[in-house]
Amino acid sequence: MIRCILIVMCTLCLHTLSGQASPKRLIQEVNRKFAAVKDYSAVLNMRFDIPSVRMEPVQGKVFYKQPDKFRIRAEGILFMPRQNPYFTLQSIRDTNAYTAIFAGEEVIAGARAAVVNVIPYDAGGELILARLWIDASKKLILKSQLTTKSNGTIGVEYVYGTAQNFALPDKMIFSIDVARFKIPKAVAVDINSKTNVQKSPPKGTGTIELFFSAYKLNQQLSDEVFRAE
Amino acid sequence: MLKLLHAELLKIVVKPRSYIGFAAITVIVLLIEFALWLDGQSYLQFILQTLEQSFDVQGNILNGNLVAFIILQTLIVQMPLLVALISGDLVSGEAAMGTIRLLLTKPFTRGEILWAKFFAASIYVFLLILWLGLLALGIGLLVFGPGDLTVLKSDELIIVRAGDTLWRFFAAFGIAFLSLSVVSAFSLMLSCFTDNSIGPIITAMAVIILFTIIGTLEVPLFDLIKPFLFTTHMIVWRNVFEHPLDWPLIRNSSAILLLHIAVFLSVAFYYFKRKDIYN
Repeated sequence: MIRCILIVMCTLCLHTLSGQASPKRLIQEVNRKFAAVKDYSAVLNMRFDIPSVRMEPVQGKVFYKQPDKFRIRAEGILFMPRQNPYFTLQSIRDTNAYTAIFAGEEVIAGARAAVVNVIPYDAGGELILARLWIDASKKLILKSQLTTKSNGTIGVEYVYGTAQNFALPDKMIFSIDVARFKIPKAVAVDINSKTNVQKSPPKGTGTIELFFSAYKLNQQLSDEVFRAE
Repeated sequence: MLKLLHAELLKIVVKPRSYIGFAAITVIVLLIEFALWLDGQSYLQFILQTLEQSFDVQGNILNGNLVAFIILQTLIVQMPLLVALISGDLVSGEAAMGTIRLLLTKPFTRGEILWAKFFAASIYVFLLILWLGLLALGIGLLVFGPGDLTVLKSDELIIVRAGDTLWRFFAAFGIAFLSLSVVSAFSLMLSCFTDNSIGPIITAMAVIILFTIIGTLEVPLFDLIKPFLFTTHMIVWRNVFEHPLDWPLIRNSSAILLLHIAVFLSVAFYYFKRKDIYN
């Protein structure tokens, strides 16, 4: 009887260990692809669909340098996610800083993806929980859902093309929770206008689409590029 | 006719009250610009606080275009009062002083005299708007620099790209001119009815204030009245900054404003041509 219980327990332990090691190995393979990119620049087109904000698409240039330097140069006003677009990859770089658990499989945009939950050990960090949908065959993150301390839940979808060998997407779609925008009429000096209460729900989701093109990789970008003007 | 217009303009120029409008605009615009230059960032922080919880808002938001827009929002509501101060006095002021009888002995028809007065008032309105534009947009761009315009509304923001703003400001000033011409025609009409100069000015101001209050209050009963008030259509200049543009609304409101001018002037001409002059 005792022998039977021991065998069952050992099997369970082995299963758990293999379950933990496997998603981390998958993440490491994704990281390895992205690690080949020391820096890059690309043309960036941005489209915004934010509740209570009407604005036209903007074109600019984007610069990135390992480990976490990121800058967009564009003329005019932009609404960007508070974290840089590679926050997901930065958060999972140190595989010893979190535990990763398999949470099944799903089909994302026609591709089978392993669902991996990432729970950081450091409870005081910005990231509380990350859920990643990883294409195991291509070693690419197809979708991520980050629960952050300061920004709530941020969803990111990735579409790959020319630079997929470096885990660089051609398109990123950010979905961000947005509270209803409301300011007193006296502050906006918006008298005589009719308030449209039905138009805006108390909370909505803002979408920012980033289209990357003309990637130039590993040009040894200087730090000057990332300095604020 | 040109002689008459020249004479009417001269009358406006020599009246000290003609400069109240220019002085008021100068003080208000410079005050707003100074306040925004000093503390504009906190004003913007208050406006953007909800969005900044979710987004990193990048770019120079506090720029000359935004400052000019805020000034227009604040001032265009008050400007009709400054216009009424001048055009409400054009006929009744002369009747009160007794100079209207002398004017009517000149070899001009009553219609020509009234046209000259209306054109003189329109030139005054044009100069007032030009002065506002120079101070608001000119100094605004000089001090705060160019940039995308953030159109502030109580429940949304519209970002208009910098290259797309200048023509909108010109269109807004054009509609403002049309709106103030309605006020000018209205007070000129009132001016034809009385022989004292204060009555039409006060009446015109009272009507504008009343209509503005009705337009501001969100009471269902007033919603039925609002489309018939000229003050409702006077604020259509703001729609020029919408994206996408609601051209039918702008055209419709502009046509209604023109119709108001035509009606007020027709009544004024009808009454003035038949008016008995006692003073």
